[in-house]
Amino acid sequence: MSGLREIAEAMGLSAVPAAPGEVLVECTEAEFKDAVAGLAERGFLSDLFATATDDGHRLTAVFSTIGDPGWLRLQARLAGETYSAVTPAVHGASWYEREIAEVFGLIPHGHPALLPVRLHGGEPAKFGRRRRSRAGMESIEELNETAPIQGQGVFQLPLGPVRSGPQESAHFLFTSGGEDLVMVRPWLGYKHRAVEEMAIGRQADSALILAERLAGTSTFANGIAFAQAVERAGEVEVSDEARRARALLAEMERLHSHFASLAKVADSTGLTVAAAQYNLLREEALQGCAALTGHRYLRGILAIGGLAGPVAAGGLRELSGSVVRWRRRSRGLEELLEGTATFVDRLETTAILASEYAHEHYLVGPVGRASGVDRDSRRDHPYAGYPELEFQVLAKSQGDALARVRVLLFEVGEALSLVEQLLCAEFVAGVAAQPSLKAGSALGWAEAPGGETLHLVDLDSSGRISRWRARPPAAVNWHVYSHACASGNNLTDYPVIEASFALSVAEFDR
Amino acid sequence: MVQLDASLLTPELAIAAAGVCPTDAITVNGDRTEGSLLFEAGQCVMCARCVRAAPDAFHLVSEPEVAVRSPASLRTRVGWKGGKADRSGRSADLETGDAPQPAEEERRLVDELHVRAMRIFNRSLHIRHVDAGSCNGCEAELQMLATPSYDLARLGLFFTPTPRHADCLVVTGIVTQQMEAALVETYEAMPNPKLVVAAGVCALGGGCFAGSPRRTRPLDRILPVDVYVPGCPPTPLALLHGLLLATGRAEERYRASGTGR
Repeated sequence: MSGLREIAEAMGLSAVPAAPGEVLVECTEAEFKDAVAGLAERGFLSDLFATATDDGHRLTAVFSTIGDPGWLRLQARLAGETYSAVTPAVHGASWYEREIAEVFGLIPHGHPALLPVRLHGGEPAKFGRRRRSRAGMESIEELNETAPIQGQGVFQLPLGPVRSGPQESAHFLFTSGGEDLVMVRPWLGYKHRAVEEMAIGRQADSALILAERLAGTSTFANGIAFAQAVERAGEVEVSDEARRARALLAEMERLHSHFASLAKVADSTGLTVAAAQYNLLREEALQGCAALTGHRYLRGILAIGGLAGPVAAGGLRELSGSVVRWRRRSRGLEELLEGTATFVDRLETTAILASEYAHEHYLVGPVGRASGVDRDSRRDHPYAGYPELEFQVLAKSQGDALARVRVLLFEVGEALSLVEQLLCAEFVAGVAAQPSLKAGSALGWAEAPGGETLHLVDLDSSGRISRWRARPPAAVNWHVYSHACASGNNLTDYPVIEASFALSVAEFDR
Repeated sequence: MVQLDASLLTPELAIAAAGVCPTDAITVNGDRTEGSLLFEAGQCVMCARCVRAAPDAFHLVSEPEVAVRSPASLRTRVGWKGGKADRSGRSADLETGDAPQPAEEERRLVDELHVRAMRIFNRSLHIRHVDAGSCNGCEAELQMLATPSYDLARLGLFFTPTPRHADCLVVTGIVTQQMEAALVETYEAMPNPKLVVAAGVCALGGGCFAGSPRRTRPLDRILPVDVYVPGCPPTPLALLHGLLLATGRAEERYRASGTGR
């Protein structure tokens, strides 16, 4: 296995110095497309975005590979407003390029379907009615008109953005031929808050508040990914105690988030008792978080350089007892679920996401791992306290809802074991002093409950943020949702499909 | 929730707390010798930085009954002159032209009338929720209400999928450009009489997204808000308190300025 630097050199690209663990490659606009295609073939395309500069724009593509804990950043300066699209060669780049076009007005020439991803046009969104598209971009309606889905008895059913129950706002256009789910087009962006844009010009610790509120259920993962990017860019040391505490809290977040996902899956199959049991576990995990940090979703405990305050000793004592109980109960529930034929039958072969397709889109998290994409940034790019911890990563090849649920069940067990390992470790209050930040640019990452979240932070000489790019897991995984829904399912499978993907809308919309 | 203990606030602590507040929930006007502090709990994202910077004056209160009917209860101002704090806590409201507090008797009558009017919803309130642009923290806590730990149905509260059956609209998140139309249409589809509960600081003052370029207007300029539930996110018990307060089945307790426990 070769490292990222060797891969780049073999392709005739020369690396320049960058933040530790990162390989930075500069190329020209003309070379960019082929370089991305070549690197994406040899590794994973982890992100693709644009940055406004004094003299135009800069395109950045980020790559990783198994066997190298670092990252490769490919950058090209763009003088004009157009460039040749990467998507025809690398399909996983499609939504990234649509976002670049939408936010920066840079048009990727040759993109097969240049639709908006989050912005619905000049007018406020009115569901079920026509909207105008942004200049140079098609609208969803235009796509429906140019590529309509036709057949006997085919009808369309809009759902959202206001949906049943307390759920996030998103719009789904179902195309059905009676029972069959022919196509589901998710239309997101209703919740777009321009979080990344709001951070520009702020001090890093002020922007941390925004990173923690990218999504409530992945507060801590996005918080540490952002904090690590700032610490790496600004050359701030983090103590071992703080690193361990961060790993502990990140696993607590995985627990409450996975319990919630499992409760939703159980509920979608009509198992209300199992759903109630998982929700009880979720509530206990949230109370555990509150006992450790004072906040149920772990907000406010993180600081640039470590933690803002000590992890409560009382909470830690309580946790050592809770972990044992949680393990016993979640094991019992797992056995009951696996032994319930109606549950297993409902999930098996539902919404299959083929392994090749998952690889082509560089999927992350439990959704990717259930389709054979064996990646986990805790293992592949160790951070926080993870280098000294023992854990397994499960990847399955079936790619159906059952595989996704089994990955979640397995990860609950691993998270409990990680919490137990960390409770044995030494915990001295890892309170951060206000660090002084140097100018720089670096990546930060973490394995959120939904998968790898990758942040890039550029700091200027006064320690303020000049660019923050957040690429949470939902930004990758929503891309394949429509495809998985269209793999021979019924309309009634839809709740199961949505629950098994457990994709966050807030993370995508940002 | 964070609460300010006005009796222990010094100009130094006020300036320290305002310096660390990331959402301008705590702002200071003037300087050490003469000035005032304004604390808006409806903007507080519970980051607890003020509690760490000025632990004497700001503390976290764990009481769940934090929902209020008037945003004035979430706002407090403390002034000082010659380096000495004005202990009264909310005296400066009048100075700055904020709406004066209704007289005690008037307030009592308004409350009583409200309770009577809300009796129509007593023991059966159907709730429709709209996420107008949240981080999904508020949704996660709203979902907890339907779980055995909180079980809102035992209180006669129910989530309903359709606004046509709803008595109460719970709104979370800043109102984004792309959600305002859907929010207003949902409200208009609800039959009268109807209640609106703003849940979470994004729906109150905007929290850390108050300045978002995608935010249209504060929620209470779009819809008539009956109850405000602060928190980032509000806990399930705070949400329950908000719903019970809306129907006149609970009392308003929280004040941005208090002596804590």
